[in-house]
Parts: sequence; structure tokens; C-alpha cells
Amino acid sequence: MKSKNLLLLLVFTLSIAILVPSAVVSAADDDKLVVYHWWTAGGEKEAIDAVFDLYNTVYPDIEIAENPVSGGGGGIMRSKIKTMIMAGNAPDTFQITYGSGMLESWVSVLQPIDDIWDELPVPEKIKEMGTIDGHQYGIPLNIMRNNCLWYNKDLVEELGIEIPLTSWDELYAACKKAKEAGYIPYAVGAGSGQEFWLASQIFQSFVLSAPHGGPAYLEKLYNGQANPSEDKAIREALGAIKHMIGEGYINSDYAALTWDKAADLLVSDKAVFYQMGDWAKGHLTAVGWKSGVDFNYQPSPGTEGVFSLHLDCFVFPQGAPHPTSAKKWLHLLRTAEAETVFCPIKGATPPRLDAFTDMYDVISQDILKDFRDPETTIVESAFAGPPEAWLDVFGRMFSSFFENPDVDQGVKNFANAYKSLNW
Amino acid sequence: MKKSVQIAFFLLPAVVLVGIFVYYFAGWSAWASMMKWEGLSGFGDFVGLQNYIHLFTDDFVFRKGLTNTLILSGAFILVTLPLGLLNAILIDLGLKGKKAFRLIFLLPLSFSFVVSATMWVWMFAPKTGTINTILRGIGLGALTQPWLTSSSQSLLGLVIIYVWQFSGFATLVYFAGISSVRTELLEAAEVDGATTFQKYLRVVIPLQKIPTFTVLFLLLMYALRVFDLVWLTTGGGPGYSSELLATYMWRVAFNRNQFADGAAIGFVMFVLSALIVIPFVAKMRGDSR
Repeated sequence: MKSKNLLLLLVFTLSIAILVPSAVVSAADDDKLVVYHWWTAGGEKEAIDAVFDLYNTVYPDIEIAENPVSGGGGGIMRSKIKTMIMAGNAPDTFQITYGSGMLESWVSVLQPIDDIWDELPVPEKIKEMGTIDGHQYGIPLNIMRNNCLWYNKDLVEELGIEIPLTSWDELYAACKKAKEAGYIPYAVGAGSGQEFWLASQIFQSFVLSAPHGGPAYLEKLYNGQANPSEDKAIREALGAIKHMIGEGYINSDYAALTWDKAADLLVSDKAVFYQMGDWAKGHLTAVGWKSGVDFNYQPSPGTEGVFSLHLDCFVFPQGAPHPTSAKKWLHLLRTAEAETVFCPIKGATPPRLDAFTDMYDVISQDILKDFRDPETTIVESAFAGPPEAWLDVFGRMFSSFFENPDVDQGVKNFANAYKSLNW
Repeated sequence: MKKSVQIAFFLLPAVVLVGIFVYYFAGWSAWASMMKWEGLSGFGDFVGLQNYIHLFTDDFVFRKGLTNTLILSGAFILVTLPLGLLNAILIDLGLKGKKAFRLIFLLPLSFSFVVSATMWVWMFAPKTGTINTILRGIGLGALTQPWLTSSSQSLLGLVIIYVWQFSGFATLVYFAGISSVRTELLEAAEVDGATTFQKYLRVVIPLQKIPTFTVLFLLLMYALRVFDLVWLTTGGGPGYSSELLATYMWRVAFNRNQFADGAAIGFVMFVLSALIVIPFVAKMRGDSR
């Protein structure tokens, strides 16, 4: 009987132990930093680890509890953070895409960090992108240029295509040449319906270069001020995509390839061009290609002088359990040293105008040159300019359009999708 | 210690956990679905059934998700049940190669959905996938299909994956059901001159009511709430062609921050599941009396 009672006691104790929230058990302190990020792939993982090492060197007494969550371009991690915050279990800091729409979507659960931001030497536009109701909420760590057209140097040479292509007509002519020679002219990867949000960045490169488009229109579009059913730029951009699909310039299995698999078409000499943000460089070099030797990039045709971008930043959520550690982390991230430790390994470029540049490869140097050129027009990208829901809503919309590129129906669907967002 | 107290102690963990993680959260979702709640800032005003009215009247994707969920569940059940029964009979017949056959059908059951999904994405890939490659290899290139990447075939592709994954389960339950048929009944049929075919048709199959009900119930529950297989294969696309209630619930709540709508979709799924569970439980109670 005694052993029976003991067993009962054990069952009871276990059930209580399961039900007691872990937060109650572990006392709060400032010797820890709970970080969430989505850098898990080769290159980016080593990059963020280097920043952690730097933090540990400066603050050896603070233990870093790192939580990498891969998938969905950060979407999976953001979902996790949402549930954590709603459950009152916020981390100390987490990664988020830096841009006005994305930050606006998150601002209700963030704390302003104006004192940490204080005179960060970045272009005025970057500051403006992160300012919500007069306050700053995120410390950017790296920039990502979106309007990049990557190309296989050997194939471009073989086909006698003159780079840079500066208009849609030149792009079409180059694609025609590539197709006639038996190559895939313009590789696209939209991963089994999962990654169709990438179509948004293809579309935006066409909006930027559309006769009635351009950076000012794109800004209006991402601010909720556009009228897509009437605006000519939407019809023109969708028409351009229709042309690319209709002429067979895009690989027919685009929906079965992830973005990196589409980039591999360049590496395997099957495709000539590839429209993707500059994170593609990290992948291309990771598979053994040499920057500027095997491949190169140019601004998407018709977008010269424009720099479509988003950044990665870290934020300071309300209810962060170790606020002092979090602030120390953000203070570290704002330094040129942190950017210098991080960006070259990731294959990215630093947002600070005074960050060192010697260690970057030829492509990053070129991207940096454009970024720092006061004549360049910086415009927000689809990844953070519009509200967070944009990628999902428009991913679906473009998924339908790519399969059935009917421009009239596309404009209608675009307008409906646009209306469905809470501006 | 009294027996009733002992029983209470043993039941307590299960009751508490199920109470919190099933009923409390189902109730909470129902409550959340009647609030205004957009963005991450939490509940706004009470809006009653407005979110449900919005979903059923204004949201064509929700209606598409509901229809797709019902079509997928129906097609899946209609194929899996007879297939499971047929497999079980073939195993029961003790034909040559029975063990290998059993293994082939039961193996998918042991695969995690993530593994299955990844494998099927490879197999269905239009250019490099196994299925189209085989078709091309045997001179049937004209029959190659875009499979999951086409909006007219994505749902069909999902049905194929579901059937592959779960037919082993149906086989297993039916085989248990067939094995439990009393030998006297079969011997009596033999004495009456019944052929093997007649034995199965007239004796064995009519006795498979409970296994059929069990398989139907469990597979329907799976089909109604499945998320991972779909998320990792089609993501609900292309377009909304394979959007299901579960994937749309995720999309609305976590990608679009419309948590009240997400809760409403979740509650609709809960009600659909309840509509299946209640008759099943009632039937089981009736049968056990």
C-alpha cells in the first residue's frame, strides 16, 4: 500500500510540475540574453555567431541563449515570436526585417530605442524607414539590395549579350537570344507555393522600371496610397511578366524550385539571368562560384540609380526579461565593428556610412558604392515597405498570375488583394 | 487510500491537461473569434458573430478552403477505405510475397509527414521528379503532368499523398477486423459450399462495420485538420487551389495578423470535428450496450 501511495504522490507531483510555467521556476536576471533570429543557413549562421562572439568578448558575464528558427524568410520565427509575446514570454531581442511597413506591424509590442539609435550614421532614408511616430525601434545590421539581375558571365559572353541591359526591350532581346541558344533566359524559383512571396520582388523590379512606375510610385504603392485598378504601372508591370512567361523566358518548373535551386540553374550553365536580391550572392559563392569572375550582377534593367532595399535589424520588445543585456546587445550592433564582423561573412553590406569597406568583394563594393552615392534613390522593398501581410497576400495573388497570366484578371486580383490589407 | 481517491489521483493529470489544452483553449478561441483583434496589440471590442459573417459572406478564400477541405476529405476517404479493405483481404488470403506486400503498405505509416512531404515534392517535380522521369523514360512523355505546381492538379496530388500515407493504417485496422472473424462462421460458409470470393463478400465484409467506422472516424479527423503535409508540399497553392481550412487559419492569423479571423476559422474546424466525433461516440455507446 505504501508503494502505491508513493506512486500516486509521484504522479501528482509530476502533473503539478508540468503545469507550473517555467518562467516561475527560473528567476529573472540580467546575466542572460535571449535572442531569436532566422540565420541558420551556411554563411549567415557563421556571421551571426561572429557577432555573438564579439558580444561575449565585450560582455563575458552575459550568457547568450540563442534561438535560431529557420524557414519562410523569417516568417516561421516571426510567428513563434508572436505567440511568445502574446503569452507574455517575450525574448530580449529578435531579428526582424527593417522597413516602415514591417515595423509599423510590430510597433505595438516594441519599445522605442531612440537613445541607442542616436545619430546612427546611415542615409536619411534609412532613418526615415525606421521612424514610427517619431521614434526608432530597430538597429539595422545589414542591407539587402533587391533590384539585382544576376548573370552567368560565360553564357552572357558566349551569347554576345552586352551588359548592362538598360530597358525592357534590351532584356527581352537578351532573353530571346538565350532561348534560341537553348538556355533558360530568366530563372525563377518559387518553391512549391511556399516561397511565392519572392514573386513580389520580381514584380517590384518591373514596377520600378515601368513607364508609369518608378521609385515614387512604388513608395505610394507600399504606403497604401495607390489605386491599383486604375494605375497604369500595375498593368504595365504585369504585362511585362506576362511577356516573359508567354515567350517562354521563364523556366516552366518555377513553382517546383526554391529560390536557391533556381540560382543553381545559373551555376549549372542552364540559365543566363536570375532576378533576386543580393542575398543570392551568398548562395552563389557558397556553392563555389567566384564573385565577379563566374557571375556578376547589374541593377534590374531600367532601375539604374535606384536602390530598392530592406535591412535586417534587431528590436527591443516590451516585456524583455533582461532589458540591460538587450540594450547592451543593441548598443553593440550599432557599431561599425559589429557590421564589419557580420557583413563580410554573410556576404551582405553594412548600413553605416562609416563602416570599413576593404574586406568586401567586388560585387559588395559596387553595391556599397551605389548605396553611399548621394545621387542614388533609395526605395523600400516589398519585404518590409508594405505591411507584414503583403508578402502572404500578394504571394498568393502572383502565384495565380504566374500560372494564368491574364493581365485584366491580374489587375483585378491585384486591386482586391491591395484592398484586403489593413492600411 | 480509498479507491475513489486513487482513481481521482490517476485521472487528475489527464483531466487537468485535457481541460486546459483542449477545452479551455477551444473556449478561448471561441471567445477570441468574437472580438475585434487585428495586429499584435490584443483584443479590441466585442463584435459578436461579425467575424464569422465576414468569413462566410466576404471571404472567398475561406469558402474555397472549406470546400477544398471537404473535397479532399471525401475523396481521400472514398479511395482509402476500399483500398485498405482490399489490401487486408489480399494479406488475409496468404498469397506469396505477403510479407513484402504488407511492408510496402505499412511503411508509409511510419514516415513523418515532413519526410513524406519532402519525398513527394521530389517525386512530383515537373522536370526532375521521379514520376515524370519514369513516364518519359518509358516513352509516355505525353502523359507527364505539372502535378502539385498546377492549380487544377494540386488537390489531386494531395489526395494521392494522403492515400499513400494512410492506406497502410486502413489496411492494418481491416486486417485486425478480418482476423477477428470467428472461424466457425467461415467454416459454416464453406460447408454451405461458398467460394472464397463469396466467403469474403457475404461473411467477412459485412462484419467489418466497426473497423470501417473506426477508420472512417480517424481518417476524417486527420483529413480535417491536416496542416503539415499540405504546408510543405503546395503551401495551399498555386493560387488558392489547395488551400485548406488549417493552412488558411495559419495564414490569416500568423502571416496577416488577423488573429480573430484565425480563431474563427479554428472554431469552424472544431465544430466540423465535433460533428464527426459526436455521432461516432453515440454510435459506439449504442453498440456497446
